[in-house]
Amino acid sequence: MPTAQELVRKFSDLKTLPHVALRLTKLVNDDRSTMHDFEEVIKLDPVLVTRLLRLVNSPYFGLINKVESIPKAVVYVGMKNLRNLVAVEALRNLFRGGENENGFSRKNLWIHSATVAIIAEMIAKRIFGQEGEDVFLAGIIHDIGLIVEDQLVGESLWSACAAYDPTKNTLALCEMEAIGTDHCLVGNLLAKEWRLPNEVLKAIRLHHDMERKHSLGSITSILQLAEYVAGKLGYSPLVGRFDPLPDYLVRHVRSSMTNYKVIMRDLPTEMAKAKDLYETDL
Amino acid sequence: MTGVEFENVFDDLLDGDEELKAFYQVLREQVPQAFIQLHGDNGVVLPEVVDQPCSSEGVAQLLEKTHAAGGKPVAEQGQDGEWCYGLRVDKVSAVLLFSLPGRTGNLLAESHGRELLQGVIDYALLQQEQQLLQIENEQIYRQIGVLKQKHTALIEDNFRQYRLIQDKEKEYARTLESEIARQTAELRNTNARLEEASRLQSEFLANMSHELRTPMNAIIGFSDLLLELKLDKESREYAQTIKNAGMNLLVLINDILDLAKIEAGRIELDNSPFDLRETVDNVANLFRIPAREKKLTFVVEIAPELPALLYGDNNRLRQILINLVGNAMKFTAAGEVAITIGLQDLTSERAQVVFTVRDSGIGIPPERQQAIFDKFTQADGSTTRKYGGTGLGLAICHQLVQLMGGSISVKSVEGQGSSFYFTLPLKVARPETVVVARPEQGRDAENIPAEAQPARSALRVLLVEDNPVNQRLASIIIKKQGCELAVAGDGIEALVQLEKHVFDLVLMDVQMPNMDGLEATRRIRKIEASAGTRAQYACLRNRTKPLSIIGLTAHARKEDEQSCYGAGMNGFLTKPIIRARLEAVLVEEADGCAAQGRPPEPAG
Repeated sequence: MPTAQELVRKFSDLKTLPHVALRLTKLVNDDRSTMHDFEEVIKLDPVLVTRLLRLVNSPYFGLINKVESIPKAVVYVGMKNLRNLVAVEALRNLFRGGENENGFSRKNLWIHSATVAIIAEMIAKRIFGQEGEDVFLAGIIHDIGLIVEDQLVGESLWSACAAYDPTKNTLALCEMEAIGTDHCLVGNLLAKEWRLPNEVLKAIRLHHDMERKHSLGSITSILQLAEYVAGKLGYSPLVGRFDPLPDYLVRHVRSSMTNYKVIMRDLPTEMAKAKDLYETDL
Repeated sequence: MTGVEFENVFDDLLDGDEELKAFYQVLREQVPQAFIQLHGDNGVVLPEVVDQPCSSEGVAQLLEKTHAAGGKPVAEQGQDGEWCYGLRVDKVSAVLLFSLPGRTGNLLAESHGRELLQGVIDYALLQQEQQLLQIENEQIYRQIGVLKQKHTALIEDNFRQYRLIQDKEKEYARTLESEIARQTAELRNTNARLEEASRLQSEFLANMSHELRTPMNAIIGFSDLLLELKLDKESREYAQTIKNAGMNLLVLINDILDLAKIEAGRIELDNSPFDLRETVDNVANLFRIPAREKKLTFVVEIAPELPALLYGDNNRLRQILINLVGNAMKFTAAGEVAITIGLQDLTSERAQVVFTVRDSGIGIPPERQQAIFDKFTQADGSTTRKYGGTGLGLAICHQLVQLMGGSISVKSVEGQGSSFYFTLPLKVARPETVVVARPEQGRDAENIPAEAQPARSALRVLLVEDNPVNQRLASIIIKKQGCELAVAGDGIEALVQLEKHVFDLVLMDVQMPNMDGLEATRRIRKIEASAGTRAQYACLRNRTKPLSIIGLTAHARKEDEQSCYGAGMNGFLTKPIIRARLEAVLVEEADGCAAQGRPPEPAG
């Protein structure tokens, strides 16, 4: 059975993140980088420039004047949003293809990831008053391990999916049984290679950890909440099957029920905006 | 949407009676004195601790009546006479039962009583809505908080980037400065090296001209002397051939050195006033006799309005003209050779002078007309075999004309002749303000008045010369003039001679070992200047005017001429020694001495 490291190494040989994505991630992590450096990188990718201008001119930013210059757009959007924009673009390509009837659906997984990202960002902003960019990235990327497994050990993954029963076990446990590792470990390693922030790495590793009580407001806890909501709405990777909400989060939701109701009320609008923004397949 | 509706997502997590409890709580606060009971559709009854508004039978009856009323409030009077009321509240999916203890009238019988009841219930419901709005408000405030944080972060980041960019710019400026400094130093070095190389080259040129002219001096000089002896016809022919070959070689050497000097940028043009007519006449005179011999018509036309005096390098201009006319003569077998000096433009300040040298010679094929101004190029290879020449003459003319700020060109028809034109911009000189420089009596032997008279009285000459061959040659020429002669091998020997003997003239070679001619001349002038030291020198003590010192130098450069005069010489002769010129100098000196009266030979 392959280890998580072996899977990640093989996968990295097959598929790499676009050059632009890697350079931008590096810039975000570098204290000495300036907007000018970002500008230089973005200029290289015309698709990215289009997306960036679309984003900055969307109702999300609500600017009065249309922004048409790259440097201005970069300043408005900010480094992290820029990184997310690139991540979404890069991952969408990874999520494409490999569609078969009796197997794992990458399309479902993509819709799941995008939904989780949007809900998680809303929760982070509205309930915990956090800037939602890192949470959004975690949402987009948290299940990337499943793509790696589908690419390299597709049949084993499919049998793990078959064995998964939310009332008895978790998908991660079934993967451990069938593959020898799980998508949390694999995803964590891959994201580490892409030099994503530590909080994001941690959330990828722990998002199926239902035993422990994670601190409220941490990316992990927000991710778990968003996964539950997405599952309830029918957007889980395996439709109809998703992990129940851990007890500590049940208590939390009950105590802030009105807050969550408001979020649920506004969610359709937000999803429509995001679809417009990222051209996701939601 | 395949799953649960958005608003029902969290239903699993709810007991279902939270809303009802909240509603009860508000009512309780509003009307604390009333008995209140809520009967939810899901079977829940609030409060759990019974707070009955009426008897159990009454409750069941009232509930039934309320359901039947379809949303309208109903009232029922209990056995104790108190009124109990029932009302369906759809918003919370429950029926509200209540009574007001101590009150006997039917609230619903009066209209304002009904309104009051409805108002209380509406108020309780609105309280719930308000809570929702409040939460919404809180969420909005949190998001505003996030935006504020981002705003602050953006400002901080902006400042950080500003500092970073400043640092980067400073660093860039520093590297730029150091890079510029490095390159400047490098350029300076290169420049110094080039200057040194150029100095060495120029030195080499000077030495070469010395080294080349010295043997030529011997060859030409001795073949000249040889020709004066009684020789049989064959020997005379051989001697004449040696002399001619030597003269040709000398011309070639001079051409090559000239060209090298021009190309090394070593040529310095003179800019003194001169009489252009005189220069042209001078050149023409050189060619009149050869033209007559070849039966060619020789024409000189000078525009009458040509200014009397112009600024320029007379000697170089002469060189160009001699070259062009020489070529015309060489390549013309019959017909004419003409020199025309015209004016293209004339103001009081400047004259644009057009020089034309025209011949009716063999002409130049069109495709070769440009190439002839290149080095070592003649009209074609056979020209060299037939007419001789180095092919350097026109290249030198071309370069010199360019240096003078003009241009040269040629028009030619093969078999009919060629015309060479060049135009020079020359400044007009005012006759009253200038002293006219006479054309230098250069290296053209023909130009020297050949009828030099033998010296009338025996001139006492000291020849200072290190090269034995040159010593001999000069000695013979001088003695033939009837002069008395002493020879010194270098400057030191010369000074010794001057101490002991009286001389009228010193011929001083410039380049010598131990003490060169310039240094020796300076010493002599110094001795002359001081009465004390002068007395020790037999030659100098009784002189009324400075001793004549004529330099002999193979270095024909302008700066060499200047350094001769600078050291105190009265004149100079270039080597190889041209017999006629040397003789002329000797005659002149002898005349001078005769006029002045000669200082006597010291006694003893």
